[in-house]
Amino acid sequence: MSLNSQHLRDRAQVLAGALPPVLAYAERLAASVAIGVHGRKRAGSGESFWQYRHAMPGDSAANIDWRRSAQGDALFIREHEWEAAQSVAFWCDASQSMDYAGKKGVETKAARAQVLTLALASLLVKGGERVALLETRAGRPGTGETKLQQMALSLAEADAGDDYGSLPLPDQRVFGHRIFISDFMGPEDAIFPALSAHGNAGGEGCILHVLDPTEESFPFDGRIIFESMSGAVDFETRRAKALREAYRDRLEERSARLAEFARRVGWYYLRHDTASSARAALLWLYMAIEAR
Amino acid sequence: MIGFLFPAMLLALIILPVLWWMLRAVPPSPSHRRFPGVRLLLGLKDPESTPKNTPWWLLLLRLAAIGAAIVAFAEPVLNPRPTTGGSGRLLVLMDAGWASAQDWDARQQRLSEILAGATRDNRNVSVRLLSDPLPVDSELAFTAAQDWVGLVAGLHPAPFAPDRQGFAAWLAAHPQDPFETIWISDGLGQGDALSSVLLEQGPVSVVGAQTPRLALLPAQLSEDGLSVPVLRERAGQAQPVTLLANGPTPEGFQGVLWRAEAEFAPDETRIDVTLEMPLELRNRIGSITVLGVHSAGAVMLADSGLQRRKVALYSPRRMEEGPQLVSSLFFLRKALEPTAEVIEAGLDDLLLAAPDVLVFADVDRLSPEETAKVLEFVQNGGTLLRFAGPRLAAGTGPGMAPDPLLPVPLRAGGRTLGGAMTWTTPKRLRPFPETSPFAGLRTPDEVEIRAQVLAQPGPDLPEHVMAALEDGTPLVTGMRMGAGRIILFHVTANAEWSSLPLSGLFVDMLSRLSVSAGGGAAEVDDLLGQTWAPREVLDGFGDLTSGQDLPSVAGETLANGPRDAATPPGYYTSQEREVAINLLAPDTVLEPLSGLASGVTRDGFGEQVETPLKPVLLAVALLLLSLDILATLFVSGRLVGARAAAGIMVAVLAYGAQDARAQDDRALLAANNVVLAYVVTGDEHVDLISRAGLYGLADTLKRRTSIEPIDPMAIDLETDDISLVPFLYWPITAQQPALSADAVAKVNAYMRNGGMILFDTRDAQLGGGFGGGSANGLILQRIAAQLEIPPLAPIEQDHVLTRSFYLLEVFPGRWRDGTLWVEAPTNLTTIEGAPFRNLNDGVTPVVIGGNDWAAAWAISPSGRPVYPVGRGVDGDRQREIAKRFGVNLIMYVMTGNYKSDQVHVPALLERLGQ
Repeated sequence: MSLNSQHLRDRAQVLAGALPPVLAYAERLAASVAIGVHGRKRAGSGESFWQYRHAMPGDSAANIDWRRSAQGDALFIREHEWEAAQSVAFWCDASQSMDYAGKKGVETKAARAQVLTLALASLLVKGGERVALLETRAGRPGTGETKLQQMALSLAEADAGDDYGSLPLPDQRVFGHRIFISDFMGPEDAIFPALSAHGNAGGEGCILHVLDPTEESFPFDGRIIFESMSGAVDFETRRAKALREAYRDRLEERSARLAEFARRVGWYYLRHDTASSARAALLWLYMAIEAR
Repeated sequence: MIGFLFPAMLLALIILPVLWWMLRAVPPSPSHRRFPGVRLLLGLKDPESTPKNTPWWLLLLRLAAIGAAIVAFAEPVLNPRPTTGGSGRLLVLMDAGWASAQDWDARQQRLSEILAGATRDNRNVSVRLLSDPLPVDSELAFTAAQDWVGLVAGLHPAPFAPDRQGFAAWLAAHPQDPFETIWISDGLGQGDALSSVLLEQGPVSVVGAQTPRLALLPAQLSEDGLSVPVLRERAGQAQPVTLLANGPTPEGFQGVLWRAEAEFAPDETRIDVTLEMPLELRNRIGSITVLGVHSAGAVMLADSGLQRRKVALYSPRRMEEGPQLVSSLFFLRKALEPTAEVIEAGLDDLLLAAPDVLVFADVDRLSPEETAKVLEFVQNGGTLLRFAGPRLAAGTGPGMAPDPLLPVPLRAGGRTLGGAMTWTTPKRLRPFPETSPFAGLRTPDEVEIRAQVLAQPGPDLPEHVMAALEDGTPLVTGMRMGAGRIILFHVTANAEWSSLPLSGLFVDMLSRLSVSAGGGAAEVDDLLGQTWAPREVLDGFGDLTSGQDLPSVAGETLANGPRDAATPPGYYTSQEREVAINLLAPDTVLEPLSGLASGVTRDGFGEQVETPLKPVLLAVALLLLSLDILATLFVSGRLVGARAAAGIMVAVLAYGAQDARAQDDRALLAANNVVLAYVVTGDEHVDLISRAGLYGLADTLKRRTSIEPIDPMAIDLETDDISLVPFLYWPITAQQPALSADAVAKVNAYMRNGGMILFDTRDAQLGGGFGGGSANGLILQRIAAQLEIPPLAPIEQDHVLTRSFYLLEVFPGRWRDGTLWVEAPTNLTTIEGAPFRNLNDGVTPVVIGGNDWAAAWAISPSGRPVYPVGRGVDGDRQREIAKRFGVNLIMYVMTGNYKSDQVHVPALLERLGQ
């Protein structure tokens, strides 16, 4: 993780600056009750004024608007608009396998994933949404500049963890939207059960499958010992070229399985390679969240 | 033939099969690659069963590389010499005369090989050159062979024949302990005495010569021109030769004047090559050489003997009718005609023909104008040879003003000896004194002097006397005048007064006076009786070297006997004469070495030289190994492809082409525009100032004049073409290296062809004068010493540079007070009171100063001055004047002395008015 947090944030905000603020779709508002800036056109717990009503028995004295009540004999209660904010959870794979770039001059997958995460988070924060970064100390949903900064710091701090990333299981928190960014190269056990759990936990979801160009094209030949980034897994071949088709089949299979899962739970799936534009991926994510 | 110095090393070849097995077993090592997708690969099978071991051709490549290395370390030698084989002491004799010079490298090589062999065999060796003086000790010095190795390169052949007889005699007189001899002979002449003496000491082998020798014999003047005999060692096949006549060319430098091609017929060993050259060229010949042969024997030195002189005969009686035999010029004509160009005409015409010698036969006093002309002729190096006669006798005497064209004053009348009315008998000649140019000539008895004019006795008479009669009366007197001389024969040029003109002595005396040429090399008679000092002598390779430190030689020694260390061939001077002493006598014959005693083994150089193959084989092994690297990369799939290699090749080629094109572009740029250039000094800061300075100057020129220079150009004198830039600014830095010979030639040509260089020491000449003591000044001196810089003088107030655009009095740069030096005026004439320069078209090729002009001119791209100049208003004024100096300088470069022509304006106006 060579990018420092400020740099990362700068880049992310540059990317985000080109998009209008997005209003998060909050289908499952009831479940994710939180103060937000999206007026529900109903009285509720919000900050903006909605209406006065007569105090009813059972109302807390603290809720009485004394200034309004002083104008007459009746006691009034000041009601606020009910506002609901969407909370969006990000999971950005920080494993070692993300820290890979096939060629010099190409971003590592980790860098791309972090930029996209922050860009989207920045967009969402501007729209007043709450964001959270799973598995980090920015895991509690929050909003505002400080939250973004906290996320950026968490991303920059996140130490290269395991060889391959394994999805965290959903906890009791409820999110309106979950975004998973990873290369999904790890063992299936570490991916699909957790994904299913998240799918069952409710909410919308996006899966961004980030790959390096060399991972897609497999341009190797000759006698090569392939090693995972930590060296824990290795594989020797005498003629790498001959394995190309088989490798690509397996990659397609993994990709197809992710897509199938997304289709089933109504999520979105995108395969994104680091050689292509990050903006396209951000746009896609933005569209995916706005689609509802 | 291939031999091995360490054949045991070849045993190592046994390991090749083992290597084969080992290499087969070990496949090319895999590369490691980090790849996150490895998980997806797990469980895949290599579908193709590629052989687990190395491909056979890669194996073969590696085995060949290792085999080559092993064979290389066994030190194979192509065409190995049989080793000296023997033991005990070894004497290596080398002829080392002129005949060895042609293949001297091969001889040194052979000597090195022998020494290397002897080193291996641990033998004591003595190396002896037969052209060296005989040993002083009675023992030959034998030391370890290694001691001689370092001396081989310093050996060189002598410009004479080796002294075999002398060494044979010495060895016979001083018998040594037994030793073996290898005699590297030049393959010429007799070897009987030496070989038999050597055989008594031990086995002898003689190495012959590698290339057949060519030799030149002294040239002769013939009807057609100059005839040069060329000898070769042995007949056999046709052989072309090319002779070169060298000497000062009309342009003034040493060069080839003439080439003559000839060919030996198969059965000829001697041909006469005729150089049919114009007389003027022929008289310039200094030496004749054979193209491609470097040996003293293939150099023929020429002296005045080969020159035909132009002799002008003048006699007032020339037109008179009369019997031929009593004509005063008849005998002179006969004596001179075979060897000189004789012309006869009126005095004025004769002087116009620029003769070498002017002969007056019985000429009376000339008119003052004519006298002045003849005096000028003599002053400029001509020889005036006068003969007496009745008119001369009548025209002189006391009371009359002395004739300036006579070496000594004459008494009136003269005297007659042995006439009917006198007691005296005709006088004979006294032997010539040592100091006379005739010294050594025999004085024949039959020469009788019957009448002569008498010299006025005086204190300085004796030193003018060149020949005298028995009684001491001067017969020939002479004096030097300027570069020439005047010589008077006190008798007539015909047989009227003496029998001298009838004798052979007369011709010899004329020859000694360099009036006539001997028609060939110096004769014995020419040399006798004088001491000759060598001026330049040949070395064994036929190159002239200074002979100043050699002792003088008596003429007898020089005339007789072969050349040796004391009398090497070369140019010798005595009195006023110079002769060329050649190596080979005219009757020399080249004959192959003969008369070797039986029992001597003969050995040739052979066609092939011993060639060690180790370097070649090691190179091959290295090449194979680097191929192996590529092949291994290829096999393991890491060779990105031939494309990369091809790309590199293309890039390299393109770079070369680009370089050439860049040069062309520069030339085009310089040719199509006016470009100011500066010399790159290597000091980045100074170069930056130069660039900014010339940029500023160009800017000023563009604003103020019609000269519109493009951006300044940096010039590296070693690599860049400077012929197209009109002006070169050359700042001097302390680190500036000396120029290479090429660059010096380039700069000299540049200055000759009208370029101008502004040298700037940039130190305000604090040391006083340029090169007066400042560091940069000394550097400038060092650089200027290489260049053809004309005499310099501080600039005068009326120099064109002061008014070529602006009127200037001072030439400040960043500093103010330095003197500006330009070419000194050499040909100053005054027209109507105004000085008018007409030297070299008025443009000095160099301007030298130390005011750091570039810094004053320098502006930044935004147009602001870069360096401060002076203070306040004065400083601004100084910068302005500096700019004006720049404008004037470039104007001067462009227009030359155009402004100088203004002195003609009054005259032109006047002419127009009429």
